[in-house]
Amino acid sequence: MREDMNNELPLRIRGLSAGYDGNPVFEGLDLDLMHGDFLAIVGPNGGGKTTLFKTILGLIPPISGTVEIFGGSVSAGIVGYVPQSNSIDMKYPISVEDVVLMGLRVKKGLRPYYNKNERDAAHRSMESVGIFDLKDRSISELSGGQFQRAMIARALAPSPKILMLDEPTASLDPGIKDCTHDILRDINRDGVTVMMITHDIGNIPHGVKRIACMNRGMIINDSPEITDEMIRFGFHCPPEFLRFNRKMDYKYRCACPECEEESD
Amino acid sequence: MTDWIAVLPIYQDMFLAAVIACILCGVVGTFVVVNRMVAVTGGIAHTMFGGVGFAYFAMSVLMVSWLTPMWGALIFGLAAALILSLTSKMKRIRQDSMIGVLWALGMAAGVIFMSMMDRSVITPHSYEAILFGDILFVGSSTLIMMAIVSAAILVIVALLYREFQILTFDSANAHLLGVNVPLMRTILYVIITVACVMVTNVVGIIMIIALMTIPVAMANLFLKNLKDTMIYASVLSTVFAVFGLFLSIAFDVPPGATVVLVIGCAFVVAILLKYVMDRSAVQSSGT
Repeated sequence: MREDMNNELPLRIRGLSAGYDGNPVFEGLDLDLMHGDFLAIVGPNGGGKTTLFKTILGLIPPISGTVEIFGGSVSAGIVGYVPQSNSIDMKYPISVEDVVLMGLRVKKGLRPYYNKNERDAAHRSMESVGIFDLKDRSISELSGGQFQRAMIARALAPSPKILMLDEPTASLDPGIKDCTHDILRDINRDGVTVMMITHDIGNIPHGVKRIACMNRGMIINDSPEITDEMIRFGFHCPPEFLRFNRKMDYKYRCACPECEEESD
Repeated sequence: MTDWIAVLPIYQDMFLAAVIACILCGVVGTFVVVNRMVAVTGGIAHTMFGGVGFAYFAMSVLMVSWLTPMWGALIFGLAAALILSLTSKMKRIRQDSMIGVLWALGMAAGVIFMSMMDRSVITPHSYEAILFGDILFVGSSTLIMMAIVSAAILVIVALLYREFQILTFDSANAHLLGVNVPLMRTILYVIITVACVMVTNVVGIIMIIALMTIPVAMANLFLKNLKDTMIYASVLSTVFAVFGLFLSIAFDVPPGATVVLVIGCAFVVAILLKYVMDRSAVQSSGT
């Protein structure tokens, strides 16, 4: 099984069309994810990024085309998924440890508890993202960054081969963003293939190996760096305003008057 | 003054019915509250009134003797649950609109069927008893059935606890973790419906929502764990319901309404207590 997985691409998309109520959001999409990749898909809201993610995760059936995860369909434990934090009810009565344990539901069985091995795995996952000391806290008591790390720990608990993140650093403070970016880079260095989507070029972390731009249902210019074409295609900002920002540990920042005003 | 020693054996079944209903509502109601299904539960409960009316009509006019009001309520409630479950993911239909439709149609159908029944064949419960509960007249057979059905629901919830927790916390991830989301959602709707039918005996159709939501909301103010919320909601609900029943006997007022009023007052006190606790915590951390 492991050898088969090593021979297959983590993600192989061919001729994929998907959308809602028969209306395609994107058509004929091709995309590959290599072993150890760290891909960021950037693009404006409404460009089709979340629909692509949902289709890969099997939440939306494709209209046509194929999505292969290691040569097969998406299965529990192979892919870890971190949703947008605003999709979760923060008043839900649940501790950080219980959130992380949810990721281990892949080991099935009708029982109301998690066994010692599962708890140990959850503890290791929490330690890896630095939130073990928060394990008994309610999620309602967490900061945005702490909650995001809890969700990453949940996704990592079953030791997935691919980690998919939907806007992982949206609405986080700059310092917390840096910390989350470091965690993602470390996860990728440990051999996990990472794929994330973001609408903000300022949220692309340093460790990213490939950047693709998605807009109007198309992916363009899959390259290691942000290009002028990407900016023109995906955003309305002129490329000359694009800044490389070392100080804040962001890889890119747009300094056009409109974006500067938004960030203020 | 009421002679408690003398009257308590008379009310024994009433107290037992209340305790069973409170435990059931504490557990099932926790999923209702955390999954924001309060309106859904209200819709199912009110649709059940149509089933009660239809059962009386079927028994008295169509001579279908097996279709008791409880079965009628269960059938209409399950139909409502199925419709709401199916429409919850439909983009073209808003679920709250569908809740409103079922809520109103259920009540209207109940009134029409009750008016068409033959009262010379069967004497129905009063509207008041159906809508606001008739716990004083819970018989032994109803009590045994409530106990068995409630025990079965608690076993199902225990076995599917992890699935329900994932489903109600993050349904998108539930699918990825191998949970059969449509099946689990349907089971949850069915459990809620059956619990509503059982609780109808205690507080009636209109006040089911109170037992399902208020104790859970109260426990939710102080607890950060789903299991603890279920346990404390059941305990709080039982304590206040028993206290409410004692008050209803002492002051000769309707028991179902008294129970709801007592639980409602306790909720207000709990909110104030939580506010004071939070303020003192902020002050102590500031010094």
